Amino acid sequence: MEWIIASAIGLITATGVFLLLRPRTFPVILGLVVLTYSVNLFVFAMGRLAVDAPAVISESRESYTDPLPQALVLTAIVISFGTTAFVVVLALRAFLESGNDHVDLIPLESDAAEDVL
Amino acid sequence: MRLALIVLLPLLGAWLPGLLVRTGRNACALAAGIPTVLSLALLLTHIPELPHGVVVSSFPWAPQLGLTLSFRLDGLGFLFAALILSIGLLITLYARFYLSNKDRSGNFFTYLLLFQAAMLGIAISENLLLLVIFWELTSLASFLLIGFWSWLEEGRRGALMALAVTGAGGLALIAAVLLLGTITGSYELSVVLQQREQVQESPWYPVLLTLVLIGCFTKSAQFPFHFWLPRAMAAPTPISAYLHSATMVKAGVFLLARLWPILAGTSAWFYAVTTTGLVTMCLGAIVAILKDDLKALLAYSTVSHLGIMTMLLGLGTPAAALIAMLHLLNHALFKAALFLTAGIVDHETGLRDVRRLGGLWRWMPWTGCAALLAVAANAGLPPLGGFISKELIVEQALHTPWLESEWVVPAVLGVSAAFSMAYSLRFFCGVFLGRPRWVDQSHVAGAHHAPQHHPHDPDWGLLFPPVLLAAGALAIGIWPQTLVEPLIGWAAIAVTGDHAAAESVHLQLWHGFSPALYFSVGALGIGVILYSLSGLVRTIGLAVLRFDFGRAFDLTLSAATRGTRWFVTWTHNGSLQRYVLVTLVGFCALGGAACAQAVYEPGARPLLPVAPPAVVGWILVIGVCLATIVFYRQRLTSLITVNVIGLIASIAFIYLSAPDLALTQIAVEVVTVILILLAMYFLPKESPRESSYWRLIRDGGLALVIGAALGWMSWSVMTRDFVSIAGYYVQESKPAGGGANVVNVILVDFRGFDTFNEIMVLGIAALGIYALLDGAMHGPAASRLDTWKPDLPQSPDRHPSLLIVPTRIMLPLALMVGAYIFLRGHNFPGGGFVAGLIVTIALIMQYMVSGYDWANRRISINYHAWIGWGIWLAAGAGIGAMVMNYPFLKNAHHHFHSIWLGDFELASAVVFDAGVLLCVVGAVMLALANLSRLGRRAYKAARRAGEQGHTDVLTPTVVED
Amino acid sequence: MNHWLILPILIPAVTAPLLIVSARYDTPLSRVFCVAANVVIGLVAIVLVHMVSTAGPQSYALGGWPAPYGIVIYADSLTAMMLLLAAMIGLVVSIAVMDGEDENGRYFHAIFLFQMMGINGAFLTADLFNLFVFFEVMLLASYALMVHGGGANRLRAGLQFVVLNLVGSTLFLIGVGLLYGACGSLNLADVAERVRELPTGQHQAMLTGVALMIGVFALKAALVPFHLWLPGTYREAPPLVTALFAVTTKVGIYAMLRMGFALDFWEPGTLFYSIGQWMLPAALVTVVVGGIGVVGARRLGEMAGYTVVASMGTILIGVATATEGTLVAAHYYLIHSTLAAALLYFVVALVQVNRGPASDSIRLGTWQRRSGLIGSCYFIAAVAIVGLPPLSGFIGKLLVLKSVQLQPAMIWTWSVLLGASLLMLLGLTRAGIMVFWTGQTQEQEPMHRPRGVLTLVASGIVAASLVGMTVGAAPLMEYLEHVVEHMLRGQS
Repeated sequence: MEWIIASAIGLITATGVFLLLRPRTFPVILGLVVLTYSVNLFVFAMGRLAVDAPAVISESRESYTDPLPQALVLTAIVISFGTTAFVVVLALRAFLESGNDHVDLIPLESDAAEDVL
Repeated sequence: MRLALIVLLPLLGAWLPGLLVRTGRNACALAAGIPTVLSLALLLTHIPELPHGVVVSSFPWAPQLGLTLSFRLDGLGFLFAALILSIGLLITLYARFYLSNKDRSGNFFTYLLLFQAAMLGIAISENLLLLVIFWELTSLASFLLIGFWSWLEEGRRGALMALAVTGAGGLALIAAVLLLGTITGSYELSVVLQQREQVQESPWYPVLLTLVLIGCFTKSAQFPFHFWLPRAMAAPTPISAYLHSATMVKAGVFLLARLWPILAGTSAWFYAVTTTGLVTMCLGAIVAILKDDLKALLAYSTVSHLGIMTMLLGLGTPAAALIAMLHLLNHALFKAALFLTAGIVDHETGLRDVRRLGGLWRWMPWTGCAALLAVAANAGLPPLGGFISKELIVEQALHTPWLESEWVVPAVLGVSAAFSMAYSLRFFCGVFLGRPRWVDQSHVAGAHHAPQHHPHDPDWGLLFPPVLLAAGALAIGIWPQTLVEPLIGWAAIAVTGDHAAAESVHLQLWHGFSPALYFSVGALGIGVILYSLSGLVRTIGLAVLRFDFGRAFDLTLSAATRGTRWFVTWTHNGSLQRYVLVTLVGFCALGGAACAQAVYEPGARPLLPVAPPAVVGWILVIGVCLATIVFYRQRLTSLITVNVIGLIASIAFIYLSAPDLALTQIAVEVVTVILILLAMYFLPKESPRESSYWRLIRDGGLALVIGAALGWMSWSVMTRDFVSIAGYYVQESKPAGGGANVVNVILVDFRGFDTFNEIMVLGIAALGIYALLDGAMHGPAASRLDTWKPDLPQSPDRHPSLLIVPTRIMLPLALMVGAYIFLRGHNFPGGGFVAGLIVTIALIMQYMVSGYDWANRRISINYHAWIGWGIWLAAGAGIGAMVMNYPFLKNAHHHFHSIWLGDFELASAVVFDAGVLLCVVGAVMLALANLSRLGRRAYKAARRAGEQGHTDVLTPTVVED
Repeated sequence: MNHWLILPILIPAVTAPLLIVSARYDTPLSRVFCVAANVVIGLVAIVLVHMVSTAGPQSYALGGWPAPYGIVIYADSLTAMMLLLAAMIGLVVSIAVMDGEDENGRYFHAIFLFQMMGINGAFLTADLFNLFVFFEVMLLASYALMVHGGGANRLRAGLQFVVLNLVGSTLFLIGVGLLYGACGSLNLADVAERVRELPTGQHQAMLTGVALMIGVFALKAALVPFHLWLPGTYREAPPLVTALFAVTTKVGIYAMLRMGFALDFWEPGTLFYSIGQWMLPAALVTVVVGGIGVVGARRLGEMAGYTVVASMGTILIGVATATEGTLVAAHYYLIHSTLAAALLYFVVALVQVNRGPASDSIRLGTWQRRSGLIGSCYFIAAVAIVGLPPLSGFIGKLLVLKSVQLQPAMIWTWSVLLGASLLMLLGLTRAGIMVFWTGQTQEQEPMHRPRGVLTLVASGIVAASLVGMTVGAAPLMEYLEHVVEHMLRGQS
């Protein structure tokens, strides 16, 4: 089981990184979303894997999975949701403002006056 | 304290003229003069103490650093300080009349006093770090003064150059002083100066010497740093006279003298200092005769004389040091006088070009007298002070072998003495004798600057200072023993510590017929010949000495600017792709390097068996990831594939005992998709093909490396056991936290603070989104919205009743579900956050299906306020505990038994969780509702355009509202 | 129960909703609340400074849960100092924005307060995951503030800022995850305990996790090669907001210090020793890049950004060499550079609103309305930043130089620091000449009352505190020695 999760984490991460390096805002945002998936899985996996042992206390159960990474991932999900929402709207506004959704800055044009003291 | 006051008076007084800026020149000059006079008076009260040695007073400033406010007054400092103050006073008077009404004299005098204070500080600092502070302050103040007429390009250039060169020297000096402090263990001069052996035997001595000399040579305009001084002549003339002849440039000489006891006497010192002095002296004298501008001529003359002083100090004998002090004094007097007369000429005629002046003696006899005396002193003619020092210099030079050859030093000295004579003659004859040349050169361009009226001797305020200075130069020549011998003697003792040598020298005008006399008569004679052949000399000189150091500096600076600009724009080119790439590579390197520090051991934890559904999921993930990468330019497709990845992750969470995670992930995903879809309405639906194959391969390679690294790390961690704090939570969740769902108890209780901040994040995101969207309602974004043309085919039925009916029925149901999920959260998967998202989804459905206006009218929730109240509620749950003197967010819970509801737990965490819910609903709704508001504006604009007959827009048939 | 510790977080957290709920469209009221909150935070910070220097470090267990299990916030003299510094900058910025920057978009003040909360939380928390959460609070607020007011290029730059920081956040999570996966705890002190008995099999994960987190801190602190986001962002952001960002970069360094000392980065033979050894080269390169950038920049705002980069490098020199002397120097320089950067950005703001169409471009241009005060502020800022006497920059630089003398790092450090000073001297002088010494005689540009009076006032306060740091160098250093002594004692 572990190698499935590990390789899936690797693959999803690679997908996210690839998207992150694209020149338009939309794929970059998707890349960030994909990266959150992989990181959430990763942090979750840091508590080791367990099947059929949810951390809900009940008398019929003896072993529980590590609840802490789950709580951390929950917080991380919410935070990345907030940032994703923000960055989506930011990208939208940047597009509306300039009519272009490229991620690069518009370079400063060179100016002959700059060298005259 | 009295010593400190000498510096403090001008320093504090410096602000007065600046404040009096509106009151005119008289008040400003007066405000500058008074501190100077007071300071001078204070200085003079110390005269009785001078023969007994050094006066030191000390106050702590930053003793940890070795920086103390300690001052010393010895002969050297006294000589220097007296020069600064007395010439400063004359300059103040002169400047009052020199400046025009247009000039901001308040600023001028403030800078001047600041400069004066800094110079005094150099003269009387006991602490070397303090000396460095004042040293750099003089550079700063002179920068302001050189660029005082900031509208002149040469002023701006000159100021930059001066600050760059002297500032660089100052940095070297900082290093030097720190080194010196390390070697000697102190920064106090009285300690440092005792340690000649330690310094000279230290392995750091060559470095130290180099650094000190860089500092001194840049300040004193020694070759090859001399070029800044002529450029600094763009300053108003009183400044040139004060800074660039009498005082600031002498700071380098002063420091050489100051550190003479510990640095001088080695052959390294001799060759470095003497040689530099000789070259500078000779070069300055030769270049001076090539200059037509009076101030440029004088500037090079100054360079030359500074070279003489440097050379003398380089000799390393007490006698030579004494002569250097004498020459320092002489030069200050006659060179200031020369500059001031040049200023008068400029002021009266508007001309500074020797070729176009002449015959001024007729109209300006007093100015001419002053100039004559000063110029004679400069050339070293009897009976002036300059003659005495020159005779002594020649005397020294005749006995100094350089690289075992006896003739080098005298020869160089002879050449420069001859050229000094020549340019002095040129200065005086060109300006005051002959006939006025501006008359017959009226055809030359710029001749309209020629004086309209006959020039005449100026006001007493302009005339008095140069006349007094010139008279001083004469008086020194006539009565050297009474006037200056004690002064010079004290200074020499302060430099060398050698009483005997200082007392053995007797200053007198007439030494009899000595070799030195023959030598200088010969040199002067050659000078006269050179002057008479000046046309020829200048032609040859101009042809030979074509290398312009200042120009070289300018070119270097501009090349440096362009080079750095190229570097900056190349490395920081504004490309996010590049930045992300570099950042990721950086992290890879960092992580990889760290990873390589430890040895890998295989983990021992028993692995979970592979379940068939997991394999199916795994294959699905591979497929979807590949699809995402292949179809990344089709945005809708990639959005779907990405969400499938998320979905599979959620299923994995369910399978791996994390139901809370799965629930949250799915809810978040739904909302995220809605949000992205709303935004995508405006965004292009496809990314253009713009990455080259090479780049795709490069990015793919990096992606694989990072993916492999993360996969590897997770494998490596998952396969080994560890001891974690998790057991505590499982154990305490029910008894201490009052909930069975440990994850939820961690969220609202054990680590409730995280959650408290997490809802802040949501709130901030929502506020930020609101601000962004609100800003899109005006400006270019708004105009783009108003000319919006939908690029997707739109359904003719905007609000199909097929959707409206079920969503309206669903609303109360969804609210019920939300309430249920919320209430059970503490014991079963669920909780405030998920509940909030469910409510939000139900609400946003109404907006999407029934339209923004319909929903907005009916759902009268102030989402802004909900965010605020949510935070307050969550905080209130925590503050409640504080009121009862528990820590913030301390949870209380109680077990209740009720006949109707059965057993149940009630925890104050419920209030906290309710705050979470409120905040989530408020935040998400604020974002989504405003996003749909944007869409509505675009839609209306498109509809308007359609009504006006644009056939390319599909006009909706059903118009809501 | 010592509730003082939570107040720097709680006050903005409770005031900000007030601005949302009741003062949404009421700018004057928002301003009052914002300034008042900052004043109160400042007072609390002063109380904390006093408290920790008399009663020693304080900790506060949130929810009453004991240390490794619950979240603990912790304040020692370093924390208190940083809180005071942040409050001071927060206050002057909140004064300066009243000139009208806050009206360029919605919710400036609320987001501003959240930013303060995030900064304070990041200083206070002793829990690694909680640090992540506070980073996010701080970052999200800074994203919103950065794009405040809009404009095509600002939004693009904002997007870059956000994306790069999200990369950082992702790596932060990975780092925290690895740390937890290796040693099973999140409380920094507890982690440090557990590291000592860590089985060798876990070393790899632990080392990588820590290295990644240090990388994330370096990203916040804009150290080469993680600084790339800074120049563009600082060029395009509203300068008054950037003045506040002068503190957020310091959060990165602060976190680095905390982590470094908790985990013994500089103790030979410990697990993380090598990580500590990488810092000095990084610091030196950062200083050089900053220095080059200062000369090469084309806009004042961008140039100021490079000065920040250089100053971060200078601070890191002190941190990386990690002796008592260098740490005192680093802390002194940290305070100084924060104030100086804020002052420079105030000047950039004033230049942008008062200069004509050239705005803050480094080229000659005319002014619409000018005042000698703006130029004077620039002069003071430039002197402070280059490290020329007599301002605190000189003392700071002298401290750094002196503290490394006779150490192996001396030659490199001295050459780099002095060389970079020369570059900055050139760049700042040239820029100052071009912007403030226009090519016109003064008659054509009469002196006017400039726009941005409150920004001038704020600049005055900051400039005065720079002077104060200079005059009061001795007591300040005494306090810093106390801070460092505590840090070093905590280490052993």
